[in-house]
Amino acid sequence: MQIVTRQTEGKPLTVTIEYPEYTESVRGLIKRIKSLDLSFSAFTDERQVRIALSDVYYLENVERKVFLYTKGDVFRLDASMAEIDKITEDSDLVRISRTCVMNTSHLTGIRQLKNSHLEATLDNGERLIVSRKYLHDIKRRF
Amino acid sequence: MRKILQDTCILAALMILAVFTCSIIWSGITAEIGLVLLLFGLALIITVVNFLFDEFLNLPIIVSYIIKYFVFTGIVMLFGFIAGWFFPSNFWMAFIYVGIVLVLAYAVDAFKVKKDIDYINGHIKKPESPE
Repeated sequence: MQIVTRQTEGKPLTVTIEYPEYTESVRGLIKRIKSLDLSFSAFTDERQVRIALSDVYYLENVERKVFLYTKGDVFRLDASMAEIDKITEDSDLVRISRTCVMNTSHLTGIRQLKNSHLEATLDNGERLIVSRKYLHDIKRRF
Repeated sequence: MRKILQDTCILAALMILAVFTCSIIWSGITAEIGLVLLLFGLALIITVVNFLFDEFLNLPIIVSYIIKYFVFTGIVMLFGFIAGWFFPSNFWMAFIYVGIVLVLAYAVDAFKVKKDIDYINGHIKKPESPE
């Protein structure tokens, strides 16, 4: 695979993909690039802000309310976990338990604790409990 | 290897269903066919319970398997009594059957979890190749 980059002033960021044959990996690549453009409309107090997917560390459903966590802030999100699953398909976001979705691009490691629970550590030091049921889904993102 | 085993199991299940469907059409439900259908039914119930268990409870692996052992044994016993599998004296055999299956499942699960963790950690630490 060749990677060609060039600066084109005054034009929006454009990614051109040339392929000899439309395969599953090409489809995956296109989906992944599209997902980089994803952002969430979240709320903090009464203010609405847009948060790029790359800034999201994890999303958590607490008592039917979804909260979005960035490196140091927490926002409220008007979406259900099912909607989030649908939007973030083929992105770096992956379900790690029934109530939590994690951004694998901020993942620094997973380990098994003494009580055999699984724990994921993010690059901001945050630790999340991973359900064994979703471990295979995380693996598929790498 | 895993894919071959998985495909073999799926193919075997399809073959059983196809052969038995033809047999049911020709000669109705015989004792053997009834047993296989009951086993499929039991497998469906256990799979649904297992799914709900994993979905709603996040317990340590050993605790999870111990609870599953008693729950599944209970289901097999109940199902066995309804289906008339057990004589009153040997219902406890369910503990052995379920135990054997769960010990194997636990071994596979524990091995798979370790392998998946190693794979994920290996790929996180993998440095990007220079352009």
